[in-house]
Amino acid sequence: MENKIVDHLFRHQYGKMVAILVRFFGFSNIETIEDAVQDTFVKATLQWRNEIPKNPEAWLVKVAKNRTIDLLRSIKAEKNRFNKISSGASAIVINELFLDHEIEDSQLRMIFVACHPSLKPKEQIAFALKTISGFSLKEISAALLTKEETIQKRLSRAKKTIIKKDIQFDYPPAVDIEKRLDRVMEVLYLTFNEGFHSTNKTKLIREDLCGEAIRLVKLLLKKEKFRNGKLYALFALMCFHSSRLSSKINNKNEIVTINEQDRSKWYFPLIKIGNDAMNKTMEYDDISCYHYEAAIAVEHLKAKTFEKTNWNKILRWYNKLYELQPAVFTYLNIAIVNLQLNKLEVVKEMLDTIVVSDLEQRAYLYYGCYADYFFKRKEIKKAISYLDKAIQNTSNNLEKEYLKKRKLQLEII
Amino acid sequence: MKDFMMIFIGADYQELGLSPEQLQERMGKWFAWNDKMEGQGILKGGNALVPVVKHVSGPNRTITDGSLVEGKELVGGYYIVSAENADAVVEIAQDYPDYDLGGTVEIREVMVFDK
Repeated sequence: MENKIVDHLFRHQYGKMVAILVRFFGFSNIETIEDAVQDTFVKATLQWRNEIPKNPEAWLVKVAKNRTIDLLRSIKAEKNRFNKISSGASAIVINELFLDHEIEDSQLRMIFVACHPSLKPKEQIAFALKTISGFSLKEISAALLTKEETIQKRLSRAKKTIIKKDIQFDYPPAVDIEKRLDRVMEVLYLTFNEGFHSTNKTKLIREDLCGEAIRLVKLLLKKEKFRNGKLYALFALMCFHSSRLSSKINNKNEIVTINEQDRSKWYFPLIKIGNDAMNKTMEYDDISCYHYEAAIAVEHLKAKTFEKTNWNKILRWYNKLYELQPAVFTYLNIAIVNLQLNKLEVVKEMLDTIVVSDLEQRAYLYYGCYADYFFKRKEIKKAISYLDKAIQNTSNNLEKEYLKKRKLQLEII
Repeated sequence: MKDFMMIFIGADYQELGLSPEQLQERMGKWFAWNDKMEGQGILKGGNALVPVVKHVSGPNRTITDGSLVEGKELVGGYYIVSAENADAVVEIAQDYPDYDLGGTVEIREVMVFDK
């Protein structure tokens, strides 16, 4: 017996099934649907122990569908509407929804609903992770480094809003589509970043967040009406970053900074896919932050060694990025690039104009940069004191360990 | 060789609210264990049980619903394996996937009646 189930089958299947069933039964039944889909997986884990069905996906779909109908039947108010569902015309409709292209369509609709402007940004991400990507409360809270209760609140607020405002399970009207697509990209970008920049202890969570973001961008790219330069650039950016995802943390679960990463371990096939996507962006006139961020990532990937990094080119892209979107974090990055270029006076000048609190939880990077600045000026004592500030300002254990290690190195000097 | 029943108690997936990903991971472990035992030719049967319980008890045949049974006391399924002795089954039971979820394996020898 070949006991192999496709990786992440359940997770991906969860999102698909919820989307299709919501499309059919409506958002007002989303909680019943989520329960039904969850029940289906529990059933599978028990039933499949003895024999895996020939077509696991079809099995899951069938069971989830029947379970939803059962659950809805048991809700009296819904009785009249749904009691004949398994036969007759409605059965045909629901079966059609399970065709491949309809499944994709339902998932895309769900993404657009998740990014509806009535939901707050933080609710959007939590809702997307739950409903589209099948993350559990615990997983979401670990992924976003937020308490389970808070996530629970965000989820129920999101669901309430969708039902109360009677948000349709559909794409936004043509006039709104560009704006909404922008928000969709932003949510996916943030999801990816949570995975990529998070120093979450669990490697799986990091990789899963990135994987989900990439999967959904790919899903969007399948539809011609959503394709634009921005979307291709976002996809490229995610591929470039992902190519070095596994080099970022070593076996001992310690951070490996880019200057110490084993460049031969960067995953070339992803870089190639990213390059192809970058070429695609040329077919469109639009330009976005994702374009510049991808260009910066490429520069890092191009350099055979850290020392050979073309910092001037990176600086140029960062300046472009800052022109387009003057974010304080980008400004800090420009200072860091100047540090690499040894333009110490520029660095000092820039750092002194930054209001640290604007950097929020990334403030430690500011202090880290200051520490490097003093290190380069051979003022080791000052460097150490800034490292201390950096350590104080990160709640992230992995970052903390990294900074402490760096501090030890300096103390030996 | 004798027959032994491994009875799995507790670790009710439904009650624990595992995510789809976690459920799939659990299932993979069950598969691996199942395959291992089949490969050794010691697995003689087994079933998983639906977590809905009815109790009939007492002279009046009083019926109670199992909602009173706590998840951690619930029998979730069993396997029958053939082995030299109970110690050998303890060895086999090392691979039971759900200890970390509070699950227990109870090992009982199947009684053989004299003919």
